[in-house]
Amino acid sequence: MSQQDGSRQINTFSLWQQTSLITSTLIGVGVLTLPRTTTSRLYEAGWMAPLIGVVWVFFSVWMIASLSKRFPGKTFIEYSPIIWGSKKRPQQGRWLSLPWVLAFLLFMYFSTAIVSRIFGEVVVTSVLLDTPLEVIIITMFLLAQMLCMHEVEVVARINELLFPLILFPVLFIALASFQNAEWNNVLPLYRASGKALFEGMYESVYSYAGYEIMLIFFAFAHENNSKARAGFYGITIAMFVYTLIVLAGTAVFGYEELQRVSWPTLELVKTTKVPGLILERLESAFLAVWVAAVFTTVANAYYAFVYGIRQLFNKGILFQRIISALMFIPLFFIALWPQNIVDIFRISSYMGMVSLALNLGVPMLYWLVLWARGMGQGAKERKSGG
Amino acid sequence: MAKNLFRIAILVTCFALLTGCWDRRELEERTSVLAVAIDVVEGREDLYKMTVQIPIAIKIAGSSGQGGGGNSNAVKIMSVTGRTVTDAANNLQLRLNQKLFLGHTRVLAISEEVARRGIQDIMDGYRREPQIRRLMWPIIVKGEAASLLKIKPQLAQIPVVFLMDLIENGSKMGTIPDQTLGDYFVQTSNKSMEPFLNYVQASQTEVRWEGIAVFRGHKMVGAINDIQSWSLLQLRNKQRGGDVIIPLPGTKNGYVTFRPHFVKTRLDLKGQHGLASYEQHGHSATYYCELQGDIVEVTENLKMKPEEFIKKMQALIKKEMEARSSKLFTQLQKDYSSDILRLGLALRGHHYRDYWKKHDWRKDFKNFPVKAVYTIKIRRLGMEMQ
Repeated sequence: MSQQDGSRQINTFSLWQQTSLITSTLIGVGVLTLPRTTTSRLYEAGWMAPLIGVVWVFFSVWMIASLSKRFPGKTFIEYSPIIWGSKKRPQQGRWLSLPWVLAFLLFMYFSTAIVSRIFGEVVVTSVLLDTPLEVIIITMFLLAQMLCMHEVEVVARINELLFPLILFPVLFIALASFQNAEWNNVLPLYRASGKALFEGMYESVYSYAGYEIMLIFFAFAHENNSKARAGFYGITIAMFVYTLIVLAGTAVFGYEELQRVSWPTLELVKTTKVPGLILERLESAFLAVWVAAVFTTVANAYYAFVYGIRQLFNKGILFQRIISALMFIPLFFIALWPQNIVDIFRISSYMGMVSLALNLGVPMLYWLVLWARGMGQGAKERKSGG
Repeated sequence: MAKNLFRIAILVTCFALLTGCWDRRELEERTSVLAVAIDVVEGREDLYKMTVQIPIAIKIAGSSGQGGGGNSNAVKIMSVTGRTVTDAANNLQLRLNQKLFLGHTRVLAISEEVARRGIQDIMDGYRREPQIRRLMWPIIVKGEAASLLKIKPQLAQIPVVFLMDLIENGSKMGTIPDQTLGDYFVQTSNKSMEPFLNYVQASQTEVRWEGIAVFRGHKMVGAINDIQSWSLLQLRNKQRGGDVIIPLPGTKNGYVTFRPHFVKTRLDLKGQHGLASYEQHGHSATYYCELQGDIVEVTENLKMKPEEFIKKMQALIKKEMEARSSKLFTQLQKDYSSDILRLGLALRGHHYRDYWKKHDWRKDFKNFPVKAVYTIKIRRLGMEMQ
């Protein structure tokens, strides 16, 4: 489909790059509220939510990876018409795939807005009290725009570079805060009902959203069969970090106090004192690093969106640059749409629901269609052709 | 060319916006408050009196030619009234040339009278204020809280620094609980325990740690003295507490001093001491506390063999410690009915189904059988062998 850069097929993403792409997209603003949202239903057992919630994520990312494996070198935008239409009627395929492609693109678009808004909200309420929210959002957008100016291999390299910068501070915070942990806060191990377990799992869903960018980025994998592995590694790392953060939050604060603080992980940073008083106030340093974590989430999602549009219209890099700059304008207003913090959290909870439906539903639907059309096994012959 | 121009434009915009110093304020443009004291206003039930201590940088030793001469002038003390704490802070701002900054506040002194009325509405303001650090120390002052800020300790230039060192040193030695604002927040939101705060008395030139102010909900209900507080520290925090000084039996004016070094505490919730109470409750708490330490002072020669002496002293100290702890339990249960031992937390954690669900802990704590069994291990006799 992509004639403009078809001659220059980019297959440069290594396994490690794909892994860091997934993990750094997942780890974002969700971590700041995760201890509160998971313990709201599961009480002491909140740390189980990311562990259980990860099951469907694995399943979903495996489906996405195998779809991409079935059509190597093609993104979701490119292989959708092939799945929905035959060679004789390419137009039909295009029209039938349009709703799914649009739903995916819109979801990426809106989650970019919500993530940048939540990030702005954190910064404004806790560190830069006099800075307007708009400035923080625009700054984040400008950074993302910088990324959108480049081709896709830059995205991989940026993520690879920022990955340790995101991972280690979070791990450090979680481990350092265990020194004022009160382990009785995590007991009894389980007391909520099975329904609560499901609801708690659902609360952790939004923090896992983001790996659907791989519908686009898996197309650039260096080897065709490293995709599922990359998804597995990336999500396992994120799961580990999430569980640790929730466990630390619950052990330090207890679930009742967690319900009362708006940014539990930030409060965790505030109460953590590094021995020796070298760094007494960690929260500013933590938020400075946090910019990187949020940037990878916002920019990756937005890049996936912009790249998707570029492929949808079958255009080149110039089109991508222009469209990314233009699309920021409505995005800015969408980001400012929720009126208050309660609204934002409600919307982000809805987004979690949508992501659940989208990430699980769309790949499953695609596979069903593939099987129904008897194309499920065609990977081998396609590979030689593509 | 146009491409380069565009790049430069973006770069310039980024440099302008990414400096991150929107609300930059130099240190000398802020009025840093080191300590806040909250009192009642005589005759006005609805008003709080807030007193703040502001260090004057230029008068602190080493900063200018004057040297550390007049330590009485190194701080400025101001008092304002207001309906709430924030109202008082706003009234204070009207009298200041620079912006009030609470980020360095280390001590929050509350008068006993205010604490006995309840400090919920004071704490709410501090919960919401992002500048307030959770590691700050709230302290209950016997009498007027402002007197704590007005002391002239002579050992430190700034009175609050003296107080901070007092607490910090005490908590390092294990004699004063390191009870921070964050701990207070956690303890008030947790349904299974009650909060406590340090209790001090201030005179003209000095301040003395008096023990612990016991709360029930947000209301102070009483205080326990230093000796009982040490027992609490041993049982609750596994900290060593202060020296144990006991009159030697059978002598006229002889004393023995035992200095604990290591504390090991284990809580048994199923033990059946006092069978009647066990049958009534089904559960009981027994603290098994092991103290290791030295004899540091014996003022009368007992004329006995060291082996015999150690045995006798161990029995003596054990008896004393158990008497102290049972006095502590009586005070907490019968007088104040406030579980600052965190017994409820352990019960909820370990006996959720068989105890916690069936009882109302706030009512039940009063009659819950609690006891402490001490094991004393004397390791050394100081530098002397007798």
